[in-house]
Amino acid sequence: MIQAQSLTKHYGSKTAVDAVDFTVQPGKVTGFLGPNGAGKSTTMRMIVGLDRPSAGTVIVNGKPYHEHKAPLREVGVLLDAKAVHTGRSAYNHLRAMAATHNIPTSRVNEVINLTGLESVARKRVGGFSLGMGQRLGIAAALLGDPATLILDEPVNGLDPEGVQWVRKLTRQLAAEGRTVLLSSHLMSEMALTADHIIVLGRGRVIADASVADIISSAAQNTVRVRTPHTAALATLLAQPDVTIINIEQDVLEISGLTVNEIGDRAAAAQISLHELSAVSASLEDAYMKLTQNEVEYRTGDASSHTEAEVSR
Amino acid sequence: MSTVTPTQQSAARTTFVSAGFGLSFIGLLKSETIKLWSLRSTYWTYSLVIVASIGIAVLMSFALSATAGFDPATGAAMPMDDAQIFVIASTSGLVLGQLIVAVLGVLSISGEYSSGMIKSTLTAVPNRLAALWAKVSVLFVFTFLIGLVSVVGSFLVAIPRLGAEDITASLFDVDVLLPLLGNVLFLALIAVFAVGIGAIVRSSAGGIATALGILLLLPTVVGLFSLAVEWVNDIVPLLFTVAGSEMVYPNTMESWQAFLVVLAWVAVSLGVAALLLKRRDA
Repeated sequence: MIQAQSLTKHYGSKTAVDAVDFTVQPGKVTGFLGPNGAGKSTTMRMIVGLDRPSAGTVIVNGKPYHEHKAPLREVGVLLDAKAVHTGRSAYNHLRAMAATHNIPTSRVNEVINLTGLESVARKRVGGFSLGMGQRLGIAAALLGDPATLILDEPVNGLDPEGVQWVRKLTRQLAAEGRTVLLSSHLMSEMALTADHIIVLGRGRVIADASVADIISSAAQNTVRVRTPHTAALATLLAQPDVTIINIEQDVLEISGLTVNEIGDRAAAAQISLHELSAVSASLEDAYMKLTQNEVEYRTGDASSHTEAEVSR
Repeated sequence: MSTVTPTQQSAARTTFVSAGFGLSFIGLLKSETIKLWSLRSTYWTYSLVIVASIGIAVLMSFALSATAGFDPATGAAMPMDDAQIFVIASTSGLVLGQLIVAVLGVLSISGEYSSGMIKSTLTAVPNRLAALWAKVSVLFVFTFLIGLVSVVGSFLVAIPRLGAEDITASLFDVDVLLPLLGNVLFLALIAVFAVGIGAIVRSSAGGIATALGILLLLPTVVGLFSLAVEWVNDIVPLLFTVAGSEMVYPNTMESWQAFLVVLAWVAVSLGVAALLLKRRDA
């Protein structure tokens, strides 16, 4: 369990995290979303005491992080894959980390097997690919068998098999009753992995709800209609709470009406439909809507904010 | 959320660590020892210390046997006894070793900053200072041991040539052993001093430049100033390297006073490092 209260971080005159309050519950995977510069990483760094909050507090498993007698057993953290000396082998890195807590070498071998690093464990980390670096970071996070896991973009650089493995692993860790806080820019992956979502924008919490609630509150379900008579259909359906967008020459995207309503009315007016399908909103749609005013680093063209937020 | 009982074990997960493991200073010492000896640079630098010491001891044994008892510059008789000759032969190479261990000391912590390892270190040891003291302790002990190997090896390789000139001394003669140990102690303290510099500067290039500047450049600069300004002469013995040498060869002050000056340098370096480590964001 992670509890932040009025957590604030200033860097000079810039406010990276602005009095955020949130609770990350055990037994769930909580997704931590937000555009670049929204304050996700800074918040994660404050949770484990790498950055000192300018104001407010954050406690993890009931205490400030630095008060724990065995921090690696309480919290496993992957902040970025580059938290390893490049001249050291993965095995020795994990052994050095384990030694601080008197964690036996057998556990080092376990996490190496668990993360699939057996073949490269004795090689120097400097030669690792991004994906192997991520696996090593995850191995280090799991070393203490912690009750809480904080993973900052763990799937960044992983192959599809690795992405799926992280999804299963985090789901399982949460199912065992652990607290899992996970950040990612891959919305489709987050939708599959997370139970709960916290969205940060410019250092503030702009949403904190279950995945289903986030989607239903921020994005509307639409109906896709293909018909040769788009103009007639649009006139027929026009009313104040209905939005109709002509997205292709013969395709309309309609929100505010159900598939049944549109089908019935078109039939009554004898307008032929070639396609009628419900398009359910995705987490990505909801995220875009929530953060469209919060993006700090936007690309030049305002309409292309998708790229600014998803790419890195 | 202190205990979690895994309800189901799938093929993907192996068993968890049982409860009872926690942070301890012994554990931190082990961790820092693993860190030190899992980098190639450690083997290189320590080997270089030993090789430089022994190599220069061979050269010095030839030079000293040729000029024993005479000042090489004036040819006048010099009051140097056998023990002193052996000490000079055995420790001359450590001057190079001092520069090498200074670099090693800086790198032992600046390397953590440049690679990002420091984040792993400080999340494992959120009370930060314990990690610094463990690193300092480990580097002190191993540098002391390497220094000991260097001077004893140097003493042994100097025996044949000096012995041929009937210059003899026992390693366990107090007049030999104490100066040797004094030099080794100063070597280990330089490494510790350099860790402090590395932790303050947090960059390898800047840290090495600062440490070597204090060891090499500062005496020269102060020396130049002392020619122009009379009172600057008085602070020369307070320089780190000068005090280090006066620990062994007391000149303007007693050995113990020189030792205190050396300790003061180390204390300031580590004190500032500790303060900044505690205060700054990692």
